[in-house]
Amino acid sequence: MKMIINRILNSEFLTFNEVLRLKVAIVTIFLFIFVFLSIPLSSFNNFTLDINIFVPLGFSLLLIFTLLLMLFNLNRWAMHFSIYTIIGLTIYYVGGSNLFYGYILFFVTLTVIIFYQDIITYLLYGGAITVYGVIYIVQKGQSIVGVNSSGPEVSSLTYQIILIGFYVVFLIQFIISDNIYEKMNNEWVRMNKVLEKYQDFSLEYLKEITEEQGKELLYKDVKFQQTISELSIFINEFFEEKGENIAEFVEFYFFLHDQNIEEIIEDKNVSVMTRKYAKEFRKYLMDDRSELVSILFNFSTLFKGDSGYDEKRYEYSLDKLFTNKIDKLLSLAILYKYLKTEITQYDKWGKIERILTHEEVTELFVSKEFREFISFEQVNFYLDNQELFEKYL
Amino acid sequence: MKQETDKYQFPQLEIYKESLELAHLKRKTIIFNSFVFVLAGIVLYYLLQLDAGLDTIISTMIMFVVLLVINLAFYSYDQDHYNNLKIVMYISTLGVYIIAISLIFRFPTPSMFTALFLTYAITSIYQDYKAMILSNSALFIAGSLLIVRFPTIFEIVGTSDSQTFFILVFLIVFVILLSLSSYILIKRKTFFYNQLAQIKESEIRNIELLLEIEKIKTGKHLDSEKYYESLKIFSKELSKKIGIENVFDRKIELLKDIKTLDIADVLIKYTEYTLDEINEIRYMELEVQKKMSMIGIKASKSYGIEVSRKEIFSESQFKSFRHFGDANYVKIVSFVVFYTLLKLDKPYLLELEESKVKDILLNSEYFYRVDREIINIYLDNNEVFDTIVKDHMKGVR
Repeated sequence: MKMIINRILNSEFLTFNEVLRLKVAIVTIFLFIFVFLSIPLSSFNNFTLDINIFVPLGFSLLLIFTLLLMLFNLNRWAMHFSIYTIIGLTIYYVGGSNLFYGYILFFVTLTVIIFYQDIITYLLYGGAITVYGVIYIVQKGQSIVGVNSSGPEVSSLTYQIILIGFYVVFLIQFIISDNIYEKMNNEWVRMNKVLEKYQDFSLEYLKEITEEQGKELLYKDVKFQQTISELSIFINEFFEEKGENIAEFVEFYFFLHDQNIEEIIEDKNVSVMTRKYAKEFRKYLMDDRSELVSILFNFSTLFKGDSGYDEKRYEYSLDKLFTNKIDKLLSLAILYKYLKTEITQYDKWGKIERILTHEEVTELFVSKEFREFISFEQVNFYLDNQELFEKYL
Repeated sequence: MKQETDKYQFPQLEIYKESLELAHLKRKTIIFNSFVFVLAGIVLYYLLQLDAGLDTIISTMIMFVVLLVINLAFYSYDQDHYNNLKIVMYISTLGVYIIAISLIFRFPTPSMFTALFLTYAITSIYQDYKAMILSNSALFIAGSLLIVRFPTIFEIVGTSDSQTFFILVFLIVFVILLSLSSYILIKRKTFFYNQLAQIKESEIRNIELLLEIEKIKTGKHLDSEKYYESLKIFSKELSKKIGIENVFDRKIELLKDIKTLDIADVLIKYTEYTLDEINEIRYMELEVQKKMSMIGIKASKSYGIEVSRKEIFSESQFKSFRHFGDANYVKIVSFVVFYTLLKLDKPYLLELEESKVKDILLNSEYFYRVDREIINIYLDNNEVFDTIVKDHMKGVR
């Protein structure tokens, strides 16, 4: 329980799969409560005794099966089974008792489905339970008419409108949230790729620095390899009796640095396990702009760039940075000169030695992606005067 | 060990996050009011059908109109928009509950009681912590008071079974489930804002890192004089071509002076410019300011980047040492390599003290990038880690 609470408190740092697992765990706890409640409530049911015994037993088995699915990390399946259980419970409650508390379960079921935040699941299961709810009200609505009600029709209409309203409001929310988060995520993934490009260049410079200084690459350093091996064994001792089992995997990790790793992964003659480990270790190689290198660079930025915030800190559009036309023009000229005179590109040998040509800069300026930096007006101005840009900048 | 996960957050993030949230808050306010408007229409139709009487119709509709007018007023008031919209969000959350409760008292039936659930659905559009607490509390307090104090609302035609206790239990379970659900969803949403704001700041810092490493490699820095000279010739020729007097030279002079003069002297020398204009021109200065270099670097690297649908919301996009499905050995080795690299001098980052490494790994997002068991082993035994690295790496690098 303590672990679940901790996970809820730190849920933003969990991966999608872990969040799904956490949600299934929470729903399962609540489902156990509903199954448990079905025992005292069976006295209100119209069902026979054997049904009142076997159905809750069946639900308990279904929940145990859901837990088993979670145990095997089949979280998506577990999610579906938890939804089947709550739908089954709803049908059991409203079918047996025709009492108002049973009707509340329609909203609980929709909430459980909403909790999983999957639009298709909501459309399918949520839609189905709403339709079932409306049919139930139409057919059996008279059994939950309040004594103060103006009549069964009004009562039935109120139930239907509110249930459908509940479903539709959340559906609209889903569509809006999906749209917002998709845009945000798209922007985030794109920015991540731009960051990786900067880091590619940083790593290349570092390799060239090491080469120029005639130093040995760190991953070839025996002392470094020994350190990694000893630390790995130390940690592994907490997991296995023979902690040193990890040593050969450390060796394999360093071995991979001098290899064409793609070839190893694709080679059908190599054992499946070797390929699997090669694929997993690829993310953490030191000679490539791997995840390890990216994390290390990002970690280093904790100690950089501590200039304060101003409202244009993340603004890169010359059109938005400057309000004056002359400033817009001068900044455009500076940007052109930067791109045409500063080394920003790889040459054909993979070294950072090349500048962009006038033609390449023009191609960039007119590209759709460049609207992030310059406006249409600035592009038109550039195209009208590009011979001056080329000759004097 | 008490964790402070915000300790190593970039300080620039808060203001930017607020601007990101404001854009979404505006949108949500509009959607909320659209829902309230539609709801008002349905309620009006309902009251007319029931022939509820003019007094009831007018008093109910006045409540809707007041709510919509308050929203409109706060939305239109531009100053401190973010806080205004937050205030109106709380007012609206309570407002719709008041309308729902008044309807329940006017029509005390179980069917009308479910209007509280619809109200919850409408207020949940905001996806905000405080609004969530208000909404969940209102649902729970109003719901349980109605159940306990007015059990006649739930009396059903043709049955004498008392359901009060079970309705209350179901309501409690329902509210707890809703609260947990909203809590997790809002946390995730806030995390998205945070990630997006963080990556913007991270970009600036990565560009600075690249410039720093480039300088170590090439030993050169950007020659601003060369730029200003070219700009002078270019602007002279441009003025000639388009037939205007040269209005650029004075600004180029100003750009040169910004580097050496302080702002007071610049204002004295260039009386034709205001402080705001000078601050704007300052972005173009090339040696002290880095804005144009940053734009240049970003512009030279941002092309040709495509994002496929498959990559959106993909776990592989989150860089960590604990990828789902990776073997434990891989998680151990990758973390150990990372840790050891932090303990060594690098051209762009000097060796970090053990206390600093531990503090960052405990109190930052990096804690969550490492497998939980592995990071705990490290935190409990960090001195052993430190000793192993020091023993082996003595004299290296």
